[in-house]
Amino acid sequence: MEPNVDEILRYLRVRGEAPEPLRAQVETAARELADSLPPRYVYRAFPLAWGGDGVTLAGSGVTLTGDLAKKMLQECDRAVLLCCTLGMEFERRLRALERRDMGKAVILDACGSAWVESGCDAAEREIAERFAPRCLTDRFSPGYGDLPLALQPAVLTALDARRRLGIHLSDSFLMTPSKSVTAVIGIADTPQPARVRGCGYCAMKMTCDYRKGGTTCGV
Amino acid sequence: MASKPLDFGKIIMLDGAMGTVLQSRGLPPGGVPELLNLERPELLREVYHDYIAAGSDVIYANTFGANALKLRRTGKGVAEIVSAAIKLAKDAASGTDVRVALDIGPLGELLEPMGTLPFERACELFREVALAGAAAGADLAVIETMTDLYETKAALLAVKENTDLPVLVTMSFEESGRTFTGCTVASMARTLTGLGADAIGLNCSMGPDKLAPLLRELCENTPLPVIAKPNAGLPDPVDGHYDMDAASFADTLAPMADAGVSVFGGCCGTSPDYVRGVAERLKRRPVVKREPKRESFVCTPVMPLPITGVRVIGERINPTGKKRFQQALLENDMDYILDMAVQQEDAGADILDVNVGYPGVDEAAMLPRVVKELQSSTALPLMLDSSNAAALEAALRVYNGKAAVNSVNGDEAVLSRILPLIRKYGASVVGLCLDQNGVPQTAEQRFEIAKRILDAALSCGIPREDVWIDCLTLTVSAQQEQARETLKALRMVREELGLQTVLGVSNISFGLPNRALVTRTFLIEAMHAGLTLPILNPNLTELMDAVAAFRVLSGEDESCRAYVERFADCEPPKTSASNIAVKKEKTAQSAALTLDDAVVRGLKTEAAALATELLKTETELSLVDAHLIPALDKVGEGYEAGRVFLPQLLSAAQAAQAVFEVIRARLAERGGESVRRGKLLVATVRGDVHDIGKNIVKTVLENYGYDVVDLGRDVPPEAVVNAVREQEIHLVGLSALMTTTLAAMEETVALLRQLPDPPKVLVGGAVVTPEYARRIGADYYAKDAKASVEIAREVFGQ
Repeated sequence: MEPNVDEILRYLRVRGEAPEPLRAQVETAARELADSLPPRYVYRAFPLAWGGDGVTLAGSGVTLTGDLAKKMLQECDRAVLLCCTLGMEFERRLRALERRDMGKAVILDACGSAWVESGCDAAEREIAERFAPRCLTDRFSPGYGDLPLALQPAVLTALDARRRLGIHLSDSFLMTPSKSVTAVIGIADTPQPARVRGCGYCAMKMTCDYRKGGTTCGV
Repeated sequence: MASKPLDFGKIIMLDGAMGTVLQSRGLPPGGVPELLNLERPELLREVYHDYIAAGSDVIYANTFGANALKLRRTGKGVAEIVSAAIKLAKDAASGTDVRVALDIGPLGELLEPMGTLPFERACELFREVALAGAAAGADLAVIETMTDLYETKAALLAVKENTDLPVLVTMSFEESGRTFTGCTVASMARTLTGLGADAIGLNCSMGPDKLAPLLRELCENTPLPVIAKPNAGLPDPVDGHYDMDAASFADTLAPMADAGVSVFGGCCGTSPDYVRGVAERLKRRPVVKREPKRESFVCTPVMPLPITGVRVIGERINPTGKKRFQQALLENDMDYILDMAVQQEDAGADILDVNVGYPGVDEAAMLPRVVKELQSSTALPLMLDSSNAAALEAALRVYNGKAAVNSVNGDEAVLSRILPLIRKYGASVVGLCLDQNGVPQTAEQRFEIAKRILDAALSCGIPREDVWIDCLTLTVSAQQEQARETLKALRMVREELGLQTVLGVSNISFGLPNRALVTRTFLIEAMHAGLTLPILNPNLTELMDAVAAFRVLSGEDESCRAYVERFADCEPPKTSASNIAVKKEKTAQSAALTLDDAVVRGLKTEAAALATELLKTETELSLVDAHLIPALDKVGEGYEAGRVFLPQLLSAAQAAQAVFEVIRARLAERGGESVRRGKLLVATVRGDVHDIGKNIVKTVLENYGYDVVDLGRDVPPEAVVNAVREQEIHLVGLSALMTTTLAAMEETVALLRQLPDPPKVLVGGAVVTPEYARRIGADYYAKDAKASVEIAREVFGQ
């Protein structure tokens, strides 16, 4: 698993070619993080049941409402809930660095955002292997498109994520540790097209800094 | 009726899982298991009977989540649920010797500093549970599945302070040997042993195979009975079933009795069959005697620190004789104090001494506050330095881990005031070799006082290894013969009593030229005489070098690894002529660098040095206006134009901060007011717990010379309004990160608007837009940290 330096630079709002010292600094920080803090994840698969108010993951207590889930899972009979985190150790490192060097802290923060996504990618590969030859949809998360962020408590409960990964959720659905991701991945018999990429589906489209700056985040 | 106490001289069988058993018998996912006490009593009776039949000596009542936080959406009270649960369990156990435990699990919310739940609030919440359990007739309390040592401490204090129940404590560890919050097995063991738990152990998280090495480590670190209550392996990601059956669970767990574990049970995925299997293999087995390590020890959750060699105590957090520090205390300038901590940690200190006693400072309020702040910024164990019993108790209470206290002396009155606190909170204590008659002049007299202190501590129930002795350093230029007496007393304490020794070494050289040489020579002699805990300034490289060399000679630094690392880049020694050449070269290099360049390039150390130099010829104000601000503006323009990026902007800001610190220190020495361009407040709104964005804004504003009051994260609207009123704030910056917390921002702005003289409000954060800012009535929208500086300029004038 390799850190994605270009993505980290994009998180740092670096437009165009990054100055060499900055790029080198980012590479060092990303490498150090990758070598010392493996992302941790848990996932669980549930059969799908289609009903009036959405797609239910049977036995999980989770019902996915809205068009996004319907569209993503249209050819699926199962879905996997996934949670991936860098854990409290990352929070501790970030706080320690904020007190010493804020410039390095923002770099670490961006590295963490990219690294937890790399962790999700690794989990996704493991899931793909486990369910082969069946096929996976793209992963999508509560808060994306019209999939409500309010699903977070049920998703984390279904995965027992507080006990198994140490994830805490605030009343406003923020996860601590901050570098944590929950996602849904559908499982189908045939290869699944990318159905929801682009800004049109994104809940952040009205406020996104990339769009304000005339670019996109690339998803 | 008082029940018979548990007999820890025998193997004790606890029960197995409750949650997963209830799920297998029909509890829906996401349901609240504690409600079953009222709704499905027959189901619980069945589970209790099954565990009792399987051989449990103790059953856990179904109260794991019965606290006010977790029950708040159920409409049920803690007392109602707890008494129903205990009654059910007691009914099931009646006519047997089986004991009923009040089961206390985590509150479900993260405590400060990682979360926002205050320690004191956690204590109150656990108190309610403990009182309800005792009133309902529980025979004992168990605190289990904890991952945060701080929360565990709150629960343990609540049970011990409010009930007479024996208390078993188990925490959940990962394979790495740490809990999710980073707590180590040794830190857990030493802290909970010190706080007076009756038995400690591990539960949940993994199967017995993976738990075995951690249990062995636990056995080495506590004299208490050790508990093992593991899961039935790991759950399968597809069907959720745990992968270990009852027979292999018992076969793997039972051998832990040979390592000295004496209390057994099962957690998630286990059932009465699992308990039966273990009980059959272990009944009538004698408890294996253990020989735990007896070593001096202090810790924070993430940093266990056995005193097995020389450990450096950093002395810098102390206002005595330091004007800038005194000013920071009087102005509540926590950042200054935290910087002192971070510098010492980076310089290699192992423990930090913390002294905040100063006229005009309420030590009983300040010491616990500083302890909490320090523990959110540094991992190092702390030595609480005060003679004020109220301050010590308040600080020991909120300290996370096992602390040290500096100090007591041979005075009976002092010993009887402080030692009970040391005992209650399980701290280590420094005893000074003096008493009400002053400092004795001979080594023998000091040794007598050391013995007196040790005896008093032992008879108070404090273990020998927690008593550290300070034989007192006197100034050699004033009382020359005393240096020998100190070293002699030190040797006697070390050799005859075998105790750890503490010594503040810096005093020795007071009043002499080239103090560092005398201090270092004394330090080296003292270490050879048996000094293990020197108190010194770790920023003085020559002292830390001496410690590094001593650790090589004493054999503590195995294979000289740390020494080689420390001096890997060291140049070979130069003759004095070539030394001068090198110095000249360095001066020439720094002459080429201007203060403005140093700030622009983010060179902190260089910027501070150049500012000190410039202040010989320029005033503080001209330094700020002619160099600092233009340099920062240059960086800011580059940032606007996309040539400079956020990390570089922040590095420049921090170089500027170093310059400001030079200026503040100078002004403090002269007794003048600090340079402040205006005072503003920043906060992340209620519900938002991530604050790096706000911290960026704060860093940049501070480095333009603004005085920033930081209320932190998850700040309720009322707290913002109160701070504005009390501190006469004219500009408030609010940050919100999530769409779910925007409402709190709107509410805060609305409340501020109701003040008679409302402050200007600027808002920002990932989801905030200029339109939204206008709509909620904010005065300004800041798209980034740089923009907030422009706004501050507009509000406060240039």
